[in-house]
Amino acid sequence: MEKDFIIAGFGGQGVLLAGEVLANAFMLDDKNVTWYPSYGAEMRGGTVNCTVVMSDEEVSAVQKTSADFIIVLNQASFDKYTSWVKKGGSIIVNSSLAAIKKTRDDINYIFVPITKMAQETLGNIKMSNILSLGILSKISKLVSIETLEKALHNVIPPHRAHLIPKNIQALKLGYEYDLLKI
Amino acid sequence: MTATITDKKILMKGNYAIANAAVLAGCQCYFGYPITPQSEIGEFMSGKMQELHRAYVSAESELAAINMTIGACSTGVKAMTSSSSCAVALMQEGLSYATSDQLPIVLVSVMRGGPGLGNIYPSQGDYFQATRGGGNGDYHLIVLAPSTVQECADLTYKAFYLAQKYRNPTVLLADGLLGQMMEPVKFKPYPYPEIDNSDWALDGAKGRDGRIIRSYAPLADDQCIFLEKLFNKYKQLEENETEWEEIGTEDADIILIAFGSTARNVKTAAKICRQKGLKVGVLRPITLFPFPSKRISELSKSAKKIYSVEVNMGQMIQDIKLAVNGQAPVELINRPVGNPPAPEEIVSRIEESI
Repeated sequence: MEKDFIIAGFGGQGVLLAGEVLANAFMLDDKNVTWYPSYGAEMRGGTVNCTVVMSDEEVSAVQKTSADFIIVLNQASFDKYTSWVKKGGSIIVNSSLAAIKKTRDDINYIFVPITKMAQETLGNIKMSNILSLGILSKISKLVSIETLEKALHNVIPPHRAHLIPKNIQALKLGYEYDLLKI
Repeated sequence: MTATITDKKILMKGNYAIANAAVLAGCQCYFGYPITPQSEIGEFMSGKMQELHRAYVSAESELAAINMTIGACSTGVKAMTSSSSCAVALMQEGLSYATSDQLPIVLVSVMRGGPGLGNIYPSQGDYFQATRGGGNGDYHLIVLAPSTVQECADLTYKAFYLAQKYRNPTVLLADGLLGQMMEPVKFKPYPYPEIDNSDWALDGAKGRDGRIIRSYAPLADDQCIFLEKLFNKYKQLEENETEWEEIGTEDADIILIAFGSTARNVKTAAKICRQKGLKVGVLRPITLFPFPSKRISELSKSAKKIYSVEVNMGQMIQDIKLAVNGQAPVELINRPVGNPPAPEEIVSRIEESI
């Protein structure tokens, strides 16, 4: 089994870090996994994305043009990646920064006001990326909150360890979000 | 980003895996000048080497870096440099001299797009640069091509070992994709024996006569003798160190040959072909010099077609054709620069030609 994930947003939204946490979680679950960033002549405020591939076998292509699960944290990424979602796949949309609009009927849309929740409940919009992983955990059922928690410890360096409890809170907030509210 | 020897898997970029393995291999001196997509190697070394009281020099140019590496290696310590495409181009003179000096320098070459300044996307356009070289004279570099982040680490160990064992410059040929991607990796201890270099290292001449390492043989006969010796070394390398991976070649009608990151996609393409009932096998050269020519020649006797899959305009295909020597048709599936052709793309190219 192979599952492909793309996380996309503005530079600065922590897209690459969220991908690193997700990839670490799969590694802790003894899966084969790769993480591949978009890189090139990038600029501040531009879009950034990373592709995470999880597989029971050796991972082949590390960059994909379609994925089972896509998280988009801004409008530009929503516009770009909607067509990349595999049939029957899911797109998690940050409705704080993207308009709620469905253009396909063969995929699942999960609209969540991620930035707003991070700001209002956690008091920090920088938690948006990790919050979105909590939502992914719930809808994909491919990675548990407990493993993501462990992954956070792998990724966040010791001098930033004080941020771990807040990030765990963000994971839970995402996971516990009532999807029926959508 | 630090790691030591560990049984635990660590999620790490290829560049960091190379740098960490170099430190564990006992690299005493690193000299380099930054260039994307390999800058993480220098970044890692700048901290780690200092911490271990080893030498790190941010050189003023690539010319300086390669010549500093030559100088350090002549004293018998393990030393390395790392760079990418258009900057490795600047090191070619040094590589020719180091080969002639028989110095075990290690060069990590993380390929990006070319020619010229090109771009920073992945590429395999420096197959020729690594296996043919741009320096003068008859020489070869030992060339190792990793395909996973784990191999980035393992083949870095091997690069130091082969360089020491054969006293020949050795290149670890990675690309931007391997350098930038993360994958779980384990670091075992350096698994190779240390090579005694007390008979040639310039280590101070205490209690012995002085030595000279030079790449100069003014008499024609002397240079003939040296070149015979050098190429005898390459023959031994071919016999003892040629390494490759084979999957499903026993009954294959079609053989796909690819190295480095491209081989990942090629393996999946072969798997898809098998599911469709096509007898497709894969050969992945791990050493690009020495090249697995003998094995490719054997396989070409029973294969109906051989494909070289590359991210360049067709370079390794020349070595494949030399090995096949007309025993089977050889075709190219390529992308000029960037990410390797997708597995589905490779499959449809194969299906089209059946």
